[in-house]
Amino acid sequence: MAFGGPLTVTTPTDTQIVITRQFDAPRHLVFACYTQPALIRRWLNGAEGWVMTVCEFEPKVGGKYRYEWRAPDGYVMGMGGVIREFEPVERVVSAELFDEDWTGGETVSTLIFDEENGRTTLVNTFVYSSKAARDGALATPMAEGMEYGYSKLDAVLVELAA
Amino acid sequence: MELAEPFAMSQPAISKHLKVLENAGLISRTRDAQRRPCKLEAAPLAEATGWLIEYRKFWEKQFSQLDDLLDELKKLEAMAGNNN
Repeated sequence: MAFGGPLTVTTPTDTQIVITRQFDAPRHLVFACYTQPALIRRWLNGAEGWVMTVCEFEPKVGGKYRYEWRAPDGYVMGMGGVIREFEPVERVVSAELFDEDWTGGETVSTLIFDEENGRTTLVNTFVYSSKAARDGALATPMAEGMEYGYSKLDAVLVELAA
Repeated sequence: MELAEPFAMSQPAISKHLKVLENAGLISRTRDAQRRPCKLEAAPLAEATGWLIEYRKFWEKQFSQLDDLLDELKKLEAMAGNNN
């Protein structure tokens, strides 16, 4: 099992969330995992117990993407958007919206992939339409869904790594 | 007034800071003759921190799965390379 760098989550302004993470892999692989549906659904599968039921991503400027997840209680969470900028293997900018719109309008997500010595630093900046929207995103049901049992996480990871 | 005493700040400056905290729902203020007692709203404070923790945990789980996938892809690339 590989170990990446530490994850940092910061809120530099009232309307932003910035996620930074290092991966022990070259950036063309990290980029592929973010832009090819068959790979996206292998890792972006939601909170513990959730299942990713829809995963579509058109990797081009103007392309659309659509993700849906189903919670253990049957609740379905969906989101989608449009790709605004697409520069393999460095940068993707997209505008996204959750179906239930608890973020109160469109969110712009920028992904930057930087490679050094075969390792990739990913910086994902989310810009929300307002502070309330940003706070709404931090409190999405999926984040709350993490209550579905962290105790099981270790077992799942061992199984995936085997 | 009492809240301002320990700080090297004017009373209006302290009032301004308290207003910001009140607008954010992190303190509440009442009137009591000349005094304006402040109450710390612990629940929203704890909630604000809790959200960030849960949000972070969510991404930690996603990224640990991405680590495993990248590991697999690196091995596949290495194998493909060896066949060339």
